Amino acid sequence: MSVKIRFFARFRELLGSDIMTDVAAGTMFTPLITTVARKNPEGYIAIFDEKGDFREFVILMKNGKRIDIADAAKTPVTDGDEIAVFPPVAGG
Amino acid sequence: MFSERERERYNRQMLLFGDEGQERLKKAHIFIAGAGGLGSPVSLYLAVAGIGTITLVDTDVVDRTNLNRQILHFDRDIGRKKTDSAKEKLQEINPDITIHAIDVKIDETNAADLVGEADGIVDALDNYPARYLLNEVAIEEEIPLFHGGIHGFYGQATTIIPGTTPCLKCIFPKPPPQEVFPVVGVTAGIIGTAQANEVLKYLLGIGEMLTGRLFIWDGVQSHADEICMERNPACEACGGMAKKTPGRKKNER
Repeated sequence: MSVKIRFFARFRELLGSDIMTDVAAGTMFTPLITTVARKNPEGYIAIFDEKGDFREFVILMKNGKRIDIADAAKTPVTDGDEIAVFPPVAGG
Repeated sequence: MFSERERERYNRQMLLFGDEGQERLKKAHIFIAGAGGLGSPVSLYLAVAGIGTITLVDTDVVDRTNLNRQILHFDRDIGRKKTDSAKEKLQEINPDITIHAIDVKIDETNAADLVGEADGIVDALDNYPARYLLNEVAIEEEIPLFHGGIHGFYGQATTIIPGTTPCLKCIFPKPPPQEVFPVVGVTAGIIGTAQANEVLKYLLGIGEMLTGRLFIWDGVQSHADEICMERNPACEACGGMAKKTPGRKKNER
């Protein structure tokens, strides 16, 4: 099955914009984003902490619905999902 | 009532929304937090539109590194208080409005007093801790918070109507780490003018607001996205607030 990952702002700068990726059924959010983010070490560090958990400020959305980062490791992705991953943009 | 000079000044926009709309702008008081990258276009466009009273708060001094984006400040202003520089420019661009420029750092002890009786708050800040303070004041006073943020070629904006839309803490519960952010002036221009546009529409009561939607600008791709946002019933800032029908408490007085 296939899902689309959309990074925004700083994460997009480091990892690209719309990423279509094939995943096995039952894949959870955290390992999926981990695999994609690892393509750029700087991108990985921007999203994940040293323990491999999402940094607390990261916003995750699946088909327009918020996924709590605390639940991301046990939330499966499904075919056709559109996943958004972004940070709060802080500058002014 | 308008002077002849005001009628001339606002002629092209009064063709759009008439005396009544212009009167609403003239009676309005908008609080702008920050006289930097976002605060520059926000305050300039609100000043020329004829917002009757603008309060602008900043505690910085103009530095040369500000000048690629903070278009309120000129090379000759380096070393001056941003509030002095801003008040001078805004008063020159429109002498028919009142500008209060306050040189103070916004903190939990003064945020509510600074906002005072303003009809809306524009977030032109560069950090989330101070944004959260304004979010709380907006909720307490039931006035809108016009949020903007920029980084490099990327920006975001949304309009928060307490009790109706998600608040800033619903959307961004945790702050990102503070950093020296790279940015180009045009990003501040795009997001700041989007915020000013929201303020005008709110005061005039026209169009669709950027409510419950996060506008995301990607200047590299020249592409705009929007992401729908929902209130978090467990939000520590606005979770206890009853759902409201959209209204303008302050304007109804």
